[in-house]
Amino acid sequence: MTSKDETGMKYLPEIPQKEIDEIRSSIKATSMKVTSENIERMKKSAPNRPEAMTYFDGIADFFGQREREIRAAKEEGKKVIGYMCMFAPIEFILAADAIPVRVHSGWYDTSKIGDRIVPVEVCPVIRSTIGAKMVGLSPYLELSDAIISTLTCDGMTKLCEILSDQKPVWTMCPPRVKDSPQSMNFWREELKAVKQKIEDLTGNKITEKKLRSAIELLQRATKAFRRLQDLRKDSPVIMGRDAMLVNQTSAWDDVKRWTQKTEELCDELEKRVQQKTWACPPDTPRVMVTGTPMVWPDNWKLPNLIEEADPQGILVADELCSSDRLLYDPVGVDEWTMDDMFNAVAERYLLTSTCPCFTSKDGNKDRINWLLDKLKEFRVNGVIYYVVRGCMLYAMEYTRIKRILDHRNVPIYYLDTEYTREDVGQMKTRVEAFLEMLKAGAEG
Amino acid sequence: MITAGIDVGTQSVKVVVLKDSKILSREKTFSGFEPAKAAEQAFEETLKKAKVSRSDIKHVTATGAGAEMATYRDSTISMVGADAKAGAYLFPTARTVIDIGAEEARAVRCDEKGTLLNFVVNERCAAGAGTFIEAMARALEVKLEEMGPLSLKAEKASQINATCVIFGESDVVTLIHRQEPKPEIARAIYDAMADRISSMVYRLGVNPDVALVGGVAKDVGFVASLKRKLGTDVLIHDNPEFAGALGAALVASKRAGVSN
Amino acid sequence: MMGTIAQFLQATIAVGAVIAGALAIILGVKDRTKKISCLRIYAQTISLGVIFFGLFTGPFGLTQYPPIGNAPRDTLIGTTVFGAPFPDGLSVPTMACYYPSGRTMTCVLWQIQAYIFPFWSAGKGWGVNYVSSGLERLAIAFGLLIVMSVILGRFFCGWICPFGFYMDLITRVRKVLKVRHRNLSEGLNDGLRQLRYLVIAAVLLLSFIFGAEAIVGTQLVSGTEYKGFVYQYFSAPFCQVCPMRPLCVLVEGALGYMNLQYVFSQATGLFYEIGYYVTSLNVAVLILVTVGAFALRRFWCRICPLGGLIAVFNRFVPFKWASVIRLDKEEEKCTKCGICKRVCPPQVTEVYEGKGGDVTASGCILCFRCIEMCPYEDCLKINVAGKTVFGSRNWLETIK
Repeated sequence: MTSKDETGMKYLPEIPQKEIDEIRSSIKATSMKVTSENIERMKKSAPNRPEAMTYFDGIADFFGQREREIRAAKEEGKKVIGYMCMFAPIEFILAADAIPVRVHSGWYDTSKIGDRIVPVEVCPVIRSTIGAKMVGLSPYLELSDAIISTLTCDGMTKLCEILSDQKPVWTMCPPRVKDSPQSMNFWREELKAVKQKIEDLTGNKITEKKLRSAIELLQRATKAFRRLQDLRKDSPVIMGRDAMLVNQTSAWDDVKRWTQKTEELCDELEKRVQQKTWACPPDTPRVMVTGTPMVWPDNWKLPNLIEEADPQGILVADELCSSDRLLYDPVGVDEWTMDDMFNAVAERYLLTSTCPCFTSKDGNKDRINWLLDKLKEFRVNGVIYYVVRGCMLYAMEYTRIKRILDHRNVPIYYLDTEYTREDVGQMKTRVEAFLEMLKAGAEG
Repeated sequence: MITAGIDVGTQSVKVVVLKDSKILSREKTFSGFEPAKAAEQAFEETLKKAKVSRSDIKHVTATGAGAEMATYRDSTISMVGADAKAGAYLFPTARTVIDIGAEEARAVRCDEKGTLLNFVVNERCAAGAGTFIEAMARALEVKLEEMGPLSLKAEKASQINATCVIFGESDVVTLIHRQEPKPEIARAIYDAMADRISSMVYRLGVNPDVALVGGVAKDVGFVASLKRKLGTDVLIHDNPEFAGALGAALVASKRAGVSN
Repeated sequence: MMGTIAQFLQATIAVGAVIAGALAIILGVKDRTKKISCLRIYAQTISLGVIFFGLFTGPFGLTQYPPIGNAPRDTLIGTTVFGAPFPDGLSVPTMACYYPSGRTMTCVLWQIQAYIFPFWSAGKGWGVNYVSSGLERLAIAFGLLIVMSVILGRFFCGWICPFGFYMDLITRVRKVLKVRHRNLSEGLNDGLRQLRYLVIAAVLLLSFIFGAEAIVGTQLVSGTEYKGFVYQYFSAPFCQVCPMRPLCVLVEGALGYMNLQYVFSQATGLFYEIGYYVTSLNVAVLILVTVGAFALRRFWCRICPLGGLIAVFNRFVPFKWASVIRLDKEEEKCTKCGICKRVCPPQVTEVYEGKGGDVTASGCILCFRCIEMCPYEDCLKINVAGKTVFGSRNWLETIK
């Protein structure tokens, strides 16, 4: 192969540095504007927003405190391992004393850059991540020493090839059928391979002791996470957007500190429960969103619409891998031996996932059961089924979920959108109509 | 109690004034480039017609794409909510209401009280709204109001393959060059649109009786095609384009009563 | 009169102490992933004490059976309370082995074997006079077995059986030594589970063959006549290979309650595979099971025919409909995380695979580990007579 072929083997083109810098600074400015706007809007919607949220507002800034911390850690020799989907074994990364960060992209503007490389029909999250890489926008993506890319869907599979033009990418392939006996064996092998790669990159062996403390650390994070979601079950003590932001920041913040701050937030919220200080009237229509991930900051489009609409709605729960699914399931260790801990981690990441990229012996009923349970626990009035155009998997599961919810007389509305700001007006009318319907349903 | 409803659409503004659930007056103005002004104007005109002053109006509800332009409104209601209310008011037996406006088509399921039970909206594709007919009429070189009666003359429809307004237009031009009879082309155009509308309604579920409101309901050609595609009869009222404003006015009555 | 009052007070204090201990554990152990397990060990210890209570009460140094040892052969609950119908004590579907000293109840499997052969007719037994016929005694034994199986089921296995306790102790030692356990493939585990029923059938058949003379009138195997070879040394076929017998006998021998020299002298055959108190086969099985329990959790319990007997009268139709203790699963709360399957000592898969409702399985020993470790509130529950007494909790709330 000639050297010209070698260049051709890459997906990502050579872009003049000047152009990259221009685009990046413009999108970065927009991103920071959108971030602070979202936070302003959240503050406006709930005048008595908990004080503990201030910390999370700080972490929400991609280009602020957290970026500086990770950069400083890197200078001290720590390794940063980025990951896209929720299957990367964070416990292993922490046990090897590396820093895990989720690098999926939530910027609308970079998806247009990604359009130069891949067709517009491709999932916008993928296109946006490609674009972010092309202009070096994401601090976490740029700071990653390696990226764990799980080959969950078609877009992700090709994304790992594209990203490997500029970063070392480690693939992990979750078997599409979660629960056949062969699946777990294969998944364990994948995890073993990644564990070895992590150890090689960091130069640290993942010992039993370190793995145990990493697992316990994440169990404490899960405890705080669940505590927060439990507080959303009854009368509204925190707006959905605030909770979603807290949830999301767990994917790139320092786990120990995030846990502590979330516990503080929960303490504040529990006081409000006692004082009956509600974030919005208790009869506000309670909405649950399920579907493709809504990544901060630009994808606050729908949550903003729901919680600022007339009539106002509140997001009480969601089935999104960018929010309520993140830390919901704990790693349950039986005997604290390396063998059992490894199996526990492997099972937690594969078996609990509700992503529609899977099917299973009972036809992926896990997701449906999860939804049905949350409908009851959170007293959900209506469900919005949110799909970014291009996601076949979520779009296809809609049919069955609609039928089941129809049986249960729970209103469900299919809302698809793109990584664009242009359809906010159209979405607004539909969201408001849906909320009107829910309100009428509650009153009539 | 006197209330008013205003529908600020993309093409025109409609206002309805209600007194104790009876229509006092209605008025329609074209939105033009300044919909806010048009909204103001239409409101004034309707009040004059009804011989009432602003202070007589207990509550004004606005709807439509430009509802925020009605600065004097007391509240807003979504278009589908207005459709449901208007549908139940005009046709007590209607349980499905289809509203086709200039740029957007909607279908709504409601009960006898006009409660919005479910809805489906088609706003992305203009081939299911009024502007499609306008564009096709231009291509056929026929006046808009003549196209309907023209299509009724046809025994069958020409073949239009395109599913999209843009390609549909070139399809029509091709058919004209081939000297296909105009009535048949017109009927094909209406059939294509009715096809799109009915597949949208099927997503919602067809619950008889089915009512049709919105400006396009005045088009006899479209109504005939829709009845064929849906396989049911379709209820139509005079002044169908005022359904949105009427629905908004009904909602205003309810809200005025509640706030008292 | 004073004696009865004194006994009553003693009993009350004893019961009170047991309950107090249980309460102390329930309230004192905060970690939800350990609470039930601690309670269970406590229950197993108390059970062990109760089953071998005779070793504490005595009387010691009896002249009746000097070669055996200084502890009483038995201090049976059944006989004292219920008299003649329970000449060998209360039948329990747990390994309260017949052969060691000091026992207060009797393993029902021994009773079933013994009452078929050699004690089918009324008359002299081992140190007891049977006034009722073998059939009557069998009926009572089976009756008790069925009632206990329906009411408690394999709760015996998880909380009462001393051999189960032994299995759990080996697990503890293994954990301390940081040795990891192995898992059997599902197919193999299922196969072993089915083997139990075969063993029960074989044992019953063998007993019937031995007892043919008394039951149908024709002797089928020589040596099965009164004081014959089989009668003396091989009367209970299963007890020749059961690992509980040597465990009790050897431990008691080591502690001085039984005379080991005499015990070993009662074994005969080329490899001492036939004997009254213990055989080489017993010991071989015990060694095998002990080593196996280091690799597989609750190894014996997966193949125990006593457990199989309980399962027959608890998990199969029509007893299934009457069983009192059940494991219930709320399908919508289950995320199929697989924790219950992984932590289950006998590797039961029905709890994980089950759709919802009653998921009690025939291999389940009701140790409640799955409920303890399930992190979703009220997903797995224990229902007693339809009412939930205990359910899974978000154990994250109690971790440090």
